[in-house]
Amino acid sequence: MKNSNISNSDQQEEKFSIRLKFIKGNEVKYISHLDLMRTFQRAIRRADIPVSYSSGFNPHQEISFGAPLALGVTSNAEYLDLKLKSVVEIEVLVERLNNALPEGIRVLNGILLGDKAKNAMSLVTHSKYKVSLSIEDTNFEQLQKKIDEFLKEQEIIALKEQPKKGFKVKEVNIKPMIVEMTLLEGIGDRYSINCLLLCGSKANLKPELLLKSFSKYLNCNFYNVRINRQEVYTELNNQLVDLLKYAESEI
Amino acid sequence: MNKLFTKEYIYDEILPNVEKPGRYTGNEWNSIKKDTNSVFIRFAFCFPDVYEVGMSHLGTKILYHLLNEQDDIYCERVFAPWPDLEQNLRDKNISLFSLETRDSISEFDFIGFTLQYEMSYTNIINMLNLAHVPLKSKNRKEKDPFVIAGGPCAYSPEPLADFVDLFLLGEGEEILLEVMDKYRQWKKADETRIEFLKQVATIDGVYVPSLYNIKYNEDKTINEIVVKYNGVPNKIKKRVLKSLKGAYFPKEIIVPFIDIVHDRIILEIFRGCTRGCRFCQAGMIYRPVRERDMEELLEIADRLLDNTGYDEISLSSLSTSDFSELNKLVEKLMSKYQNRKIGLSLPSLRIDSFSLKLVQEVQKVRKSGLTFAPEAGTQRLRDVINKGVTEDDLIKSVTSAFETGYNNIKLYFMIGLPTETDEDVLGIADLAHKVVEAYYGVPKEKRGKGLRVTVSVSSFVPKAFTPFQWVKQDTIEELKRKQKLLQSAIKRKQITYNWHEPYVSYMEGVFARGDRRLGAVLEKAWELGCKFDGWDQHFKYDLWMKAFECCDVDPDFYVNRARSFDEIQPWNHIDVGVTNKYLLNEYKKSLDEKLTKDCREACTGCGINNLGEGGVCDEK
Repeated sequence: MKNSNISNSDQQEEKFSIRLKFIKGNEVKYISHLDLMRTFQRAIRRADIPVSYSSGFNPHQEISFGAPLALGVTSNAEYLDLKLKSVVEIEVLVERLNNALPEGIRVLNGILLGDKAKNAMSLVTHSKYKVSLSIEDTNFEQLQKKIDEFLKEQEIIALKEQPKKGFKVKEVNIKPMIVEMTLLEGIGDRYSINCLLLCGSKANLKPELLLKSFSKYLNCNFYNVRINRQEVYTELNNQLVDLLKYAESEI
Repeated sequence: MNKLFTKEYIYDEILPNVEKPGRYTGNEWNSIKKDTNSVFIRFAFCFPDVYEVGMSHLGTKILYHLLNEQDDIYCERVFAPWPDLEQNLRDKNISLFSLETRDSISEFDFIGFTLQYEMSYTNIINMLNLAHVPLKSKNRKEKDPFVIAGGPCAYSPEPLADFVDLFLLGEGEEILLEVMDKYRQWKKADETRIEFLKQVATIDGVYVPSLYNIKYNEDKTINEIVVKYNGVPNKIKKRVLKSLKGAYFPKEIIVPFIDIVHDRIILEIFRGCTRGCRFCQAGMIYRPVRERDMEELLEIADRLLDNTGYDEISLSSLSTSDFSELNKLVEKLMSKYQNRKIGLSLPSLRIDSFSLKLVQEVQKVRKSGLTFAPEAGTQRLRDVINKGVTEDDLIKSVTSAFETGYNNIKLYFMIGLPTETDEDVLGIADLAHKVVEAYYGVPKEKRGKGLRVTVSVSSFVPKAFTPFQWVKQDTIEELKRKQKLLQSAIKRKQITYNWHEPYVSYMEGVFARGDRRLGAVLEKAWELGCKFDGWDQHFKYDLWMKAFECCDVDPDFYVNRARSFDEIQPWNHIDVGVTNKYLLNEYKKSLDEKLTKDCREACTGCGINNLGEGGVCDEK
């Protein structure tokens, strides 16, 4: 039995919010956002974390996630906010949770949130991705030139599928949502590109859509595409900061 | 492609292109990882349906962990690939792989299938083909895996006799390990394939179909079932655990990433059923009744909650209300776990022993609807099938449910039961209307708003080892007529009426009581493109009919024909404990509309207690 540190009453207790940063690795890249949430909820139970529950007919853990990640994309920087019924030291909580998480998901660190902290989901404005892919019949300079030209376009029209509208295709100008697109290196036919893109409720560009329009622009196919989210940002005094740094500023 | 490259290729290049790739990734919490170089036996545990269905099955969980607790055995899981993945595998000529290692299962020692329902048979053929394993036993070479199968459909195994090397009859916990022992010895001795089959056939409960010859009469019925070698048993007895007290249960169970059909802890409280409903195959083949100890159940629940993180427990058995300490068990579970927000669900509650107090107790955490199974619409027909419950039981139960605010009731019925008349069919509508009236009989301030009554009507399929194993199944036309008749009789808008496709029931009927000659039909149907027959969107009746025609087999022979009592049935060489004499007597009693008592009250002489040495019925 391990319910010793779980209190019996949920009512009118002081609650504590924490934010955790975690990795979603290759082993779990096909786990959808919804499934990932459930995975955490179960890990939290296994780790016996004193999580707070909502009231009502179907009580659920008070937990919320940052920007969802597309299926097949890995990440070094995912965030979740969690409400606790009692304070647990962050290091202890991280260790316990990591022991209860499946291979591929690792909590890196966390922070206790201030009383008025905004939730992770609402904060996100930018995401940075590292894309690795194979392109035939090109070289570093040529690709660099193409990227520069691509970014100089007035408009970049991409065809966006809308799952909630029966996968109806809509034309969108993605140009304003590309903040940076930098060619990092090329080894053989394999290149890596860093992209800083708008992400969140106001404007959201998925790296897959950017690659699709770039591939169309180049008129060539990309092979063995791997996408990794490197960081998720929000704006603080006109600077981009990650969600843990932002939380620090809120205290 | 080399092995490592193939594994990465599947993961990185194929899975992104298929629907729900999480079905195929493995790596779930509590899944087993082993070094394949340090194991002696590799076992592919195959469930011939999708991941979400297969991972919901308790037996699969038990046997997976049971095998993996043996250090030298690695049991890995395989599910039927959805057609999108299948297409990808075929295009790239990649063999069917296990979730744990993504190795081709053609390299394994065993490919084991669990047979839960007849309509999964084409998936078995398809999976063998995708694994690049010869479909038929007789074509398998020395280095090919042994194809092994068990589960409820193994009691009427003949339609699969061509494809399966050995069937295991009955509960798998003991026999599977005995088969593994024999295999270890055989593999070390480096003997021939047929030698293993002959040796393994001497284990109680093992049926090796290739060691038996079937002779037929001119009228296509079976003349004789004969063994080919000395030492091969004439009758194969099913295996049962003597007791469930202390019986194996895994220390942990796999927690899937993706949402599955039954995504919760399944706590098996007992096996078998004492009620003796005459249509119910499970009630006959899973005898005798054996309960697990209360203390053990509590201990299992505790352990699994801790190491899975699930927030729901479902009690599992054929008739939850019959567990002798149900109230105490529910009380204990609820008092222990309510604060941890653990929900408890009690499926298979009986109408006549329905305790609203109990249901309210378990729904403190989560509330849901209520389900009842009167099975037939009139008392006469309920007596024929020995269901035992009355209209009064039902109305009392739903009334008390309505009085406490329930507004969602599900009712299960069957049509096509033996002796059924139109009056019985209309009785279903009548009963559903009475449930609606019972709701309006409850004062407005007490009852919940917005009544919903769901009437689900399946078509009766006669099964082997039941008192109705001799009867003629209703024709498709007759079932359709009855479905329409019922539909037109349901007048209230609060009632939702669901029915099953009679074409599927027809095919199920063919295989449920089929013989070896159906093997050719099965293979033909698969060749024509039949698979996932249990899924409406994939079931292709016209292709099945074409397959029968090509093989010159008449499906009506199996379905729409009353069998004589002295006919040798295709499962004549299988012994489930319950005797033919008992079944026949039960059938005759059914025609007289006479009830048989619950065997907890008095032994009804079904024969199960002669299966092992001494009595094995639970101590009641």
